[in-house]
Amino acid sequence: MSAQQSQGIQTLLEAEKEAAKIVQQARQYRVQKLKDAHSEASKEIEEYKKAKEAEFKAFEASHAGTTSEAQAAVDKDTEVKLKSITDQYNKNKEAVVQKLLDRVVLVKPELHRNLKKAQS
Amino acid sequence: MSRPMNDDEVLNELNKMVAFIKQEAMEKAREIKVKADEEFAIEKAKLVKQEQQAIDAQYEKKLKSAEISQKIAQSTLTNKSRLKLLHRREEHLQDLFNVAREQLLNLSKDEGRYVQFLEGVIIQGYLQILEPSVTIHSRKSDVEVAKTAAGSAASQYKEISGRDVKFEVQGSLSDDLAGGVKLVSGSGRITLDNTLDERLRLLEERMLPEIRQDLFGPNENRKFFT
Repeated sequence: MSAQQSQGIQTLLEAEKEAAKIVQQARQYRVQKLKDAHSEASKEIEEYKKAKEAEFKAFEASHAGTTSEAQAAVDKDTEVKLKSITDQYNKNKEAVVQKLLDRVVLVKPELHRNLKKAQS
Repeated sequence: MSRPMNDDEVLNELNKMVAFIKQEAMEKAREIKVKADEEFAIEKAKLVKQEQQAIDAQYEKKLKSAEISQKIAQSTLTNKSRLKLLHRREEHLQDLFNVAREQLLNLSKDEGRYVQFLEGVIIQGYLQILEPSVTIHSRKSDVEVAKTAAGSAASQYKEISGRDVKFEVQGSLSDDLAGGVKLVSGSGRITLDNTLDERLRLLEERMLPEIRQDLFGPNENRKFFT
């Protein structure tokens, strides 16, 4: 009778051991999953970063294009204005020189306004 | 029936208990796994979101600074262009003054006008200096005409101011100059430069706004005028 009993208890003890193993495996799974969370997150973050970088580079490339366009446009506009300045100058030059010369010899002698003509 | 169990019944009971133990373990394990999966998803999402926000902020800054440098570049272009225009105008202005200075030399050739001019500037000189004695410095070649002009200028001076003046003409100015006279008071302390060259120089300075308008048209950017 006692041999039978101890055999039964043995079986139960082994069953408990198995059960503990199963739970332990589940716990290990949990620990692993936490580590996975970090590594997978890092991967996703890297990809996101690459995508953003590519986006930014594309923007920069397009911007470089517009800069040189703008330069050319401004230069052309400047040339036109420069030419117009010279044309205006040549048109009005003579008149202004004459005006200057006329005014050089223009003299209007006047007594200072605070003075009165001295009576002799 | 409370008789003791036989062997088969004992075995049965044992098996049931074993199965029960296993069942409990499996359920617990499943709970743990499910919870683990949930936590995994939450933790991963949290980490990713955190970093994404940081990255977004970083690129936002980069974008902004790229925009700013573009604006700066544009503004520099515009500024350079404006400077070119101003430079060109200045060149033309200098050219104009040079031409005027050259043509100035011809003024003294028209004798009638020149004598009248000399008279005028001498009277103006007398009226500015307001001294009883004056030395008139003219070009060497102008000494004679200057003497005549100074004489009639003195009587006109008396007309205008009621004052007398004693004058003396010296031909001390170089003939390279365009013409006109310099007056020095009797004590030598007051000098008045009324030469053609000096007058032209003064005009160059003072007439700049007028010249600008005549040469290049009015300035469209101006809002206030005296």
